Amino acid sequence: MGAPPIHVRGLGKRYGPVVALKDLSLDVAEGEVFGFLGPNGAGKTTTIRLLLGLIRPDSGEGTVLGHPVGARGVAWRGDIGFLPGDMAFWPRLSGADTLDFLAGLSGRPPAGRAQLLERLGLAAPELARHVHTYSDGMKQKLGLVQALQCEPRLALLDEPTKGLDPLVQQAFYEIVTDMRKTGATVFLSSHVLPEVERVCDRVAMLRAGAVVSVGDVETLRRAARRRVIADFSADADAASLAHFGELIIAQPRHVELLVAQAALPALIVRLGMMPLSDVVVERPTLEEAFLEHYR
Amino acid sequence: MSVGVLLRHHARLHRVPLVPLALGLALFEWMMTFVAGEPSVSWFLTSALRAAPPEFLALLNQDLLLGVSAQGIVGVGYAHPFALMMMAVWAVRVPSAALAGEIGRGTMDLVAARPVTRASQIAAALVALLVGLVILAAAAWAGTLLGLTLRPLAGVSAVRYLPVAGALCLIFACFGAVGILVSALAREAGVAIAWLSGLLAGSYVLDYAARVWPRIAALRPVSLFRYYEPQQVLSAGLALHDVVVPAAVGAAALIVAFGVFARRDL
Repeated sequence: MGAPPIHVRGLGKRYGPVVALKDLSLDVAEGEVFGFLGPNGAGKTTTIRLLLGLIRPDSGEGTVLGHPVGARGVAWRGDIGFLPGDMAFWPRLSGADTLDFLAGLSGRPPAGRAQLLERLGLAAPELARHVHTYSDGMKQKLGLVQALQCEPRLALLDEPTKGLDPLVQQAFYEIVTDMRKTGATVFLSSHVLPEVERVCDRVAMLRAGAVVSVGDVETLRRAARRRVIADFSADADAASLAHFGELIIAQPRHVELLVAQAALPALIVRLGMMPLSDVVVERPTLEEAFLEHYR
Repeated sequence: MSVGVLLRHHARLHRVPLVPLALGLALFEWMMTFVAGEPSVSWFLTSALRAAPPEFLALLNQDLLLGVSAQGIVGVGYAHPFALMMMAVWAVRVPSAALAGEIGRGTMDLVAARPVTRASQIAAALVALLVGLVILAAAAWAGTLLGLTLRPLAGVSAVRYLPVAGALCLIFACFGAVGILVSALAREAGVAIAWLSGLLAGSYVLDYAARVWPRIAALRPVSLFRYYEPQQVLSAGLALHDVVVPAAVGAAALIVAFGVFARRDL
């Protein structure tokens, strides 16, 4: 088995006094859909730009498709599809000319273009228009087509569903699913947690330039605290539950608290000793797991 | 291969302004042959030039008496600010748009994320610059040729203006190469345009000032316009240093541009 499509160790980047990324270590396997989560300024775009060689790392090393990060050779980039986070095009070029130009630079035939255009709903009359007449959503669709039209082995997509309506978002998820089936690797950064939860095999969470958590969606969700909601038939000593986790609501007959999975059995036993009328243990969403890291 | 694709891209972006620039230059140089051949206008110009203070003649790069002949009047067209401005527009526009312009617009990421070397981006910008300048210089000379063919002037041959057009092309190729270096350093087209326009204007003013103000005459070789003297070319041919210095400055600027652009963050 060859090197993973993305393999980085200790990657770091500073912009003057600002640390944009520190000590990033990641492996993304072939055929994997990998989600990269983090708030604005966390270092998601910097990571993608480092992987592409658009900027140079200050520390660390790694490979992309087996080629060292920041290497001078460029032929391997023909196997990469890239969607920038801030989509910009040449305003006086038509959509079709833009796609032809970028496919020409990739050096590979745009074998997947027709199907992508159809699935994302970009018709021939729209492609004939100058890009400056496009809405943000159309520009995003054009961005997705240019990134994926040459059927890349590795797609680096920065906020891929930004500005897309729900129908087109659905079409995009199907495209990603199909790419996974063909063995392509997708690395996508996103703020949209349900989207990541839906299409990604694994997720990395980034905060202030550092990875705070990596794992499959289920593991991350499991690691997050559960919300336990308990109702009592008579007044109870809610404060006595505080040592099990974080009390959110503490009323004599109603309690809500966040509890780590390991503390759940003991809490259930304790609740059984109280005048309990109802109890609900909510499975955390990825969003809750995400927010726990950034609170 | 990517140089060819990039070159077609430059052609798409810049071909529209190239047409009026070329037509403007051709029309202007044709007009100069008309002016030189019109006895009343020619007499007026000759009188005006003879009466003009040396500072004004220096502005037109007319420090030789050649300026008052028909050949010299046609030659004025190659040193006139209008012709220089037409060439300068191209020499500033293409380099600024090629690198800094793409970075500022945000489209550089789309290009640089593909199998395109940074050297090929500079090479494509250089070729686009040179092709445009050759077309503009050829258009200027075509205007002279057309004018002299339709209305021949005694003792004035269009062929004599070929090296002048070549020198015009060379001096702006040199400015353009410096422009590529400026663009390789900048993050926005506006910044590159401002620096390069300032350099062009500063060079022009320094050359002029050094010719009319003896105290700074020694500074004249610092100005690139020192190496563009159309009347000198007409009277004595193209001097070696007028070829070597712009070519050397241009080559040095390109070498530095290659080095800088290959290492910088985009």
